[in-house]
Amino acid sequence: MKLPIWDLPTRLFHWLLVGLIAFSWWSAEYHYDDLHIWSGMAVLSLLIFRLLWGFFGSSTARFANFVRGPRAVFGYLRGQWRGLGHNPLGALSVIALLGLVSGQTVLGLIASDEDGLMQGPLVNLVSVGTSDAATELHEELFNVLLALIGLHVAAILYYRLRGSA
Amino acid sequence: MRIAVLTALASVSLVACGQNATSTNNEVAENSANSVEATESAATPAPAPATKEEAMKVMHERHEGMEQIGKSTKTIKRALDSSSPDMAEIQKAAATIAELAAKSPNWFPQGTGPELGKTGAKPEIWQNYPDFVAKDREFGRAAQTFDAVARSGDLSQIKAGFADLGKTCKACHDKYRSDMHH
Repeated sequence: MKLPIWDLPTRLFHWLLVGLIAFSWWSAEYHYDDLHIWSGMAVLSLLIFRLLWGFFGSSTARFANFVRGPRAVFGYLRGQWRGLGHNPLGALSVIALLGLVSGQTVLGLIASDEDGLMQGPLVNLVSVGTSDAATELHEELFNVLLALIGLHVAAILYYRLRGSA
Repeated sequence: MRIAVLTALASVSLVACGQNATSTNNEVAENSANSVEATESAATPAPAPATKEEAMKVMHERHEGMEQIGKSTKTIKRALDSSSPDMAEIQKAAATIAELAAKSPNWFPQGTGPELGKTGAKPEIWQNYPDFVAKDREFGRAAQTFDAVARSGDLSQIKAGFADLGKTCKACHDKYRSDMHH
């Protein structure tokens, strides 16, 4: 019998996140301010779900079952890893991607355009200077996120071509 | 951990509810005497400044002016979001915007686009100049109206006027401002 390694909620999370990140980029690029903010809120909700699922979800979704220290990562690189789900190196990628997307949503909450016309819902909790800095970081981190997504896709292609064994 | 997560969830839903849409209200009369009538017939841009230095000077003034307008709208937004808006602060910022808006028709002569130097002004401004001027005129009108309602001190009218003003900023920026304007 074939059992899926990742459960449906985890897969839904993944593909909804893919869609929402693309939509977030599009809505920002084409100035649909309200849609961009709502998209960010949807991403934040997804992340909160994923955080919960990382503690209470199925075995391969739980952080405790796949996040490993450097020794396990190097061990994996030397071929000493047998298991199901995220390998120790892939776990780093998962954490980096989740962390970066979380950072983006939090920065977005306090970001503002230069006219104050498009603002995150929590912008008034911080000073104008902090908000400006967050906005700049929000824009720049998107490029880092794109690079990580590129790496993520490249790794998948590599494993596909090499064969997963 | 469970409590922390639930708190986060609760705060997110609160935030979601707090997002209120701004509505426009055009019942505010157009009662400005000194609006941008001077440019009424300007369907073609002013000729390019004689020297590069002069053109750069116009671009600089434009940049500073736009930045000042942006800072003023931010100030007003913050004041309006606060529980007790500082009326004097709003009035001062509204006057600044109105003053600069009246100058804005002079900020876009020929030859002050990205071909000359770093600017957020897109070449489309000069390609669709009549449309651009119409949008700038709308902005000027909204800025004068907003200045007038700010002086009246009526908070609901101020909010409506500010929403109207913001729309005129956005209408032009979405079309004629590039993202490389920092």
